[in-house]
Formats: sequence, structure tokens, C-alpha cells
Amino acid sequence: MTASAKRKTVQGVTLCADPAREDCFRVAQLDSEMQKFENGMSEDARREKLHRHMNNEMGALEIAAQCLADFPESPWELRMQLARQAFDESRHVRALHQRLRQLGGYKGEFPIGNFEWAVTNVCDTLAARLAIQNRTFEAGQMDLLGALRQIWRSVGDERTAEVLEHILADEINHVRFANQWIRKLVQADRRLLLKVASAVRFLADTNSVLAGESAADSAETSSEQHKKLGINVEDRRHADFSDDEINEILRQAGMSSLASAEAQA
Amino acid sequence: MGLILREKAEYLATFRWLEVFLMETLARWVPTTPEMEVKVLMGRHIWDAAQHADALGKRTFELRAPLHYTLTPLPGYLGTMKKLASVEDTAGRIQAVYDVILPSLLARYQHYLQNSDSLLDEPSFRVIEGILNDYARMRKESEEVRAELRETLVFDPERAQRWSRQENAINDFVVRGTGSTLAREATA
Repeated sequence: MTASAKRKTVQGVTLCADPAREDCFRVAQLDSEMQKFENGMSEDARREKLHRHMNNEMGALEIAAQCLADFPESPWELRMQLARQAFDESRHVRALHQRLRQLGGYKGEFPIGNFEWAVTNVCDTLAARLAIQNRTFEAGQMDLLGALRQIWRSVGDERTAEVLEHILADEINHVRFANQWIRKLVQADRRLLLKVASAVRFLADTNSVLAGESAADSAETSSEQHKKLGINVEDRRHADFSDDEINEILRQAGMSSLASAEAQA
Repeated sequence: MGLILREKAEYLATFRWLEVFLMETLARWVPTTPEMEVKVLMGRHIWDAAQHADALGKRTFELRAPLHYTLTPLPGYLGTMKKLASVEDTAGRIQAVYDVILPSLLARYQHYLQNSDSLLDEPSFRVIEGILNDYARMRKESEEVRAELRETLVFDPERAQRWSRQENAINDFVVRGTGSTLAREATA
């Protein structure tokens, strides 16, 4: 049985069972099990952010790798993109682990969650997985990173800001190839559109059941976080989102006036 | 013995299969291997194997075979590779890839170079020399991870030697005389 075929149940929702983790990690199933800090940029909170992000990148690596394992018949050019993504995510894990250690942290210091892996791998088509992981979670991370690097700079941590800037550049490529390939795959087989729509619906339902929160950074892609941190419009354009799609995302995030301005620009 | 043009394409197509197999094996192992440093190591090398397969697949087209022509190895060798890919423990997986598969492929690539023409088949030489350089880096990176995890992973050298002996015992691994499948219109 492949890693993506194993299942677990969280609050009545059937999800993909967790990927392998070392014993030092405490795996949370709900966001309430994650550690939170009153001061979002205290020293402890900074380490927790890096630790959480490191595990999310590990999850992104695992999802890209699992796509290669599960869909051997997909177009070779798309498999090349997934292989490249695995390489990129590996470098992100290393960079964040390195930075975590520089700040006195260590593997397993805080609880982790594997929400993105658990939701994405329930999908049985590559188009749907790309729609969830790359086009939704990673695009949400683009929005986050657009704002977070400035927040780290504002507390004088230039090195972490630099790490996040490079990660952001890579994520744009991952979102772009997903956007382009979803279009191609759907053009070739219109039935995939239904699969993609079902996957997006499943993600929304799961988020809703799990109290609108996940055990990972993906929680911060919610409309509340988008309102707070904003939509990274420029990088979404780089990632090949159309103007209509960007305006829709702005509207969903409660930024209709900005969406209008974008439309006029 | 020198390889004729068709045989060169068959060798490169078989090497391509092996690189794709390596890519897929590493990809399958990433989520099922607990150690973060090993996941990272494998994640990096997924991309290396993909690039090798890509370069080999483009070269097969230049040798009058289909683009990304791929040939499954002979059953004996295929069985050995599948056995190595079924290893469950982390130390064994590291040994299977970095102590057995990469050194054995290196020897088989070198055998190809010895039986080809460095001028007439220079594009293949360039591709293979690039792959062998990557292998050296990949093995060096695996040594660094082993050193980092020396307190948690236990390696059994005898097991790796046994696997290597089994691999070395297989001489022929390329399906020969595929004939009509080399036509341009064959499915890539």
C-alpha cells in the first residue's frame, strides 16, 4: 500500500494518514494542539514559526514526491516540474532547519501538523492534487511570505527575511507550473474539471469541519489571514493567475474595493 | 566489442529506465522514511535522477530512436532492482542507493563509454560524464548525512556487500534487437 492510500479519521473526516516522522516530533491533528504565543514575534514564537514552516516544507516535498510515485503515466514535462519541486522543497527544509538552529531551536521543539498532506493525498487525480497543494496551499503561502519577510525585517532579522524571499521565488514557480498544467490537463480531459472542483469543495468542507482551522500554516491562508496580511497580487500574476482569478480571490478575502481597483488598473 | 548505433540507443534507453526507476524509488521513500535529513537527501536526488533521464531521453532521439525512448532491463536485472527498492529500513535504503545502485550504474555507464566512440558518440559521452559527476556529488552528500545521523542509524556493511555481489553477478541487462520499436513513430 502506498503512503497516499493509508487513511486516518479526524473529527469524523477521512484524511490521508500522516507521513513518517521521527520520534522527536509530536504530531498534532488539530490546530488547538499547536503551540501559540501571545507575542507573535517573541523569541519563542519566532522559533515556532520557523519550526512550523520547516515541517510544512517537508510536507510539500512529500506531496510532490508522492505525485511522482502515484502518477507514473503523467506527461514527462510535468514530472520534471514535480521533481524540481521536490528539490526546491528539500532546500527549503534545510534552510529553515539551519536558521532554526541558529536561533537556538531544534527538531521536535514544537508540535507539528500535516494538514496539507492529509487533505491533498485524498485526491485521486494529479490535477486535483495540483489544485489543492500548489494552486491553493502554496499560493496562500505566497501571500503569507509576501508579508512575513517584511515582518521579520521589522524585528531586525534580515537573514530569515532573506530565506523567506528565496522560498517565495521558488513557490511562484511551483504555483505557475500547476496553473499551467491544470489548464492543459483539463483541456485534454474535461472530466478532470469535476475532480478539481470536488477537491476544492472537499478542502473547504474539511476546513469547515475542523473549525476553519488546520494544524499547519494553511490555516493562515483563510480569508481572515488574507484580510490581515493581504493578497500578493504581483506574485500571483507571476504565477500565471488571470486577472479574473485574482479579482475573485480579492473578493473572497473581503477586499472588493481593491479588486475593483485592480480591475481598473 | 563496439556497440552499433541501434545498440547504443538500446543502452541509453535502458539507462533511462533505470534513472526513472531511481527517481520513483526515492519519491516513494520520501514520505515513508522518518528521518528529516534523509528525506531532504532523497528529495535533492529525485531531481538529479529526473535530469539524467531527461538528458538520456533526448539523446535517444538523436540516435534515431523515439524521444524519451525507454527500455525495461532484462528480467534478472529488473528483479534485482525491484528487490533493492523494497527495502524498508532507512539505513538499508541509504545503502541500497548509495552503496549499491549508484556504484553499479557507474560501472555500467563506464562499460558503455569503453564500447563507444568518444568522437562519433561524443554527445552521449557528455551526458554520461555529467551523470557520473552527479553521482560523485550524490554519494558525497549521502556520506555527510550518514555522519550527521551516525548516532541513530546503524549500517550493516555485509548486507550492502551481499547486494553488490548479486548485482555484479548479472552481466547482461539490456534488451537487444528491439528492431521495429526504434522507428520514429513508435510511442515514446
